[in-house]
Amino acid sequence: MFRLQGSKTLAVDLTGDVVKAKNGSMVAYDGRMSFKKLSGGGEGLRGMVTRRLTGEQMTVMEVSGQGTCYFADRASEISLVSLHGDKLYVEASNLLATDSGLRTGTTFTGLRGGASGNGLFTTTVEGTGQAAIMSDGQAVVLRVTPQYPLMVDPGAYIAHQGHLQQHLQSGVNFRTLMGEGSGEAFQIRFEGDGLVYVQPSERNTVGGDV
Amino acid sequence: MSTPVVFDPMTLPSDDNVNSYTFCVELKGSRWFLQKGKMIAYYGQINFDGIGHGRFDRLVRSSFHSPLHASDWVVAEGSGKMLLADRAFDVNSFDLEEGNLTIRSGNLLAFDPSLALKQSIVPGFVTLIGTGKFVAASNGPVVFMEPPLRVDPQALVGWADCPSPCHHYDHGYMTGVMGGIRSLTGIGGVSGEEHQFEFVGAGTVLLQSSEALMAEQATGAVPGEPGVPGGGSAPRMPGQLGDLQRRFGL
Repeated sequence: MFRLQGSKTLAVDLTGDVVKAKNGSMVAYDGRMSFKKLSGGGEGLRGMVTRRLTGEQMTVMEVSGQGTCYFADRASEISLVSLHGDKLYVEASNLLATDSGLRTGTTFTGLRGGASGNGLFTTTVEGTGQAAIMSDGQAVVLRVTPQYPLMVDPGAYIAHQGHLQQHLQSGVNFRTLMGEGSGEAFQIRFEGDGLVYVQPSERNTVGGDV
Repeated sequence: MSTPVVFDPMTLPSDDNVNSYTFCVELKGSRWFLQKGKMIAYYGQINFDGIGHGRFDRLVRSSFHSPLHASDWVVAEGSGKMLLADRAFDVNSFDLEEGNLTIRSGNLLAFDPSLALKQSIVPGFVTLIGTGKFVAASNGPVVFMEPPLRVDPQALVGWADCPSPCHHYDHGYMTGVMGGIRSLTGIGGVSGEEHQFEFVGAGTVLLQSSEALMAEQATGAVPGEPGVPGGGSAPRMPGQLGDLQRRFGL
């Protein structure tokens, strides 16, 4: 069971079950715990090959035991996401922990990944259960409906869930080429039905400079 | 378990904070100035254009009197709701009514074009004059103080209605034999607090609760010419007479 202890620490109550968490993110625990190192990008041989090919690797540990385990990473703000059979797409660096009902994998994100400076692949979390995602500053959750598409700065994007199509929208014009751009040259446009998580901070992106 | 609040275009606040790090601006066919790259997401139809080109050239004349800063700012125009944030710093909006406020250029995120922006004579600061709303970022919440007051230069966010500050230097600590050694070498402990900005008069001083600075643009500085104090001159050549030469205008 995931709960937040403050906004920057995740407390997980374990009764013999297993959670996967970012390697080295445990800050404290009580009870008996054992930690086993795993790797992200899916299970088995296929997962290993995907990880090698995509570079979307997060080192994950498997925590099991009895008691409460606390996780935190560089004082990032944590948001809890409940999944009921749907899929969460999240940047590997923003995923803190997933519970045993969830599977993680890697998918191709296309051009968007290139623009957000996070590589062309992203991590997917699927199943029923809870996941904890991290953001630099408290994340804002925005709903996308067919009437209201959403434009997001690639550097501020952290995750999305639901049935969303995304494509890269660019405002590049001749002024950008002359070095007088607006600084908002690229946006990811989300259409469909779902939720998008953005953080109040921007990673350094290619798009941020034009 | 705390479920995060989900926002959609209806529930997003209009011209108010979403959380302490994110601010939402509602545009209804209107315009806002914002610093480049501070928009994180938006709903609706909003265009972003550089200032000082084409049809926005006029804006530089009416409300953006700082050609030096123009390349760092964009105009958002259209209708919809737009979220602003900066490096997970605290953001707050302030209202000015027929007032003036000077703020570190890197801390100003966005403002309503009903305000006029001018460059302050203090390097790295800009002044907003008029009536309207602006959004500022600070590392940690903003603290409001009343002069007379001396503040750490790095903690200063801005000031309103009071005369521009002057430098205050703890001279005593840096004089004498020991002081000289301290100031030259740093041996013996420089506390880092020998230099402050001093405010006098009536007004309000805004401080942030951290000394981490936002990147600031070196504008409003004196031109880099020989003979201008603080202007910095050509690199010193060997055999040159140090500052003496410059003082005599050679």
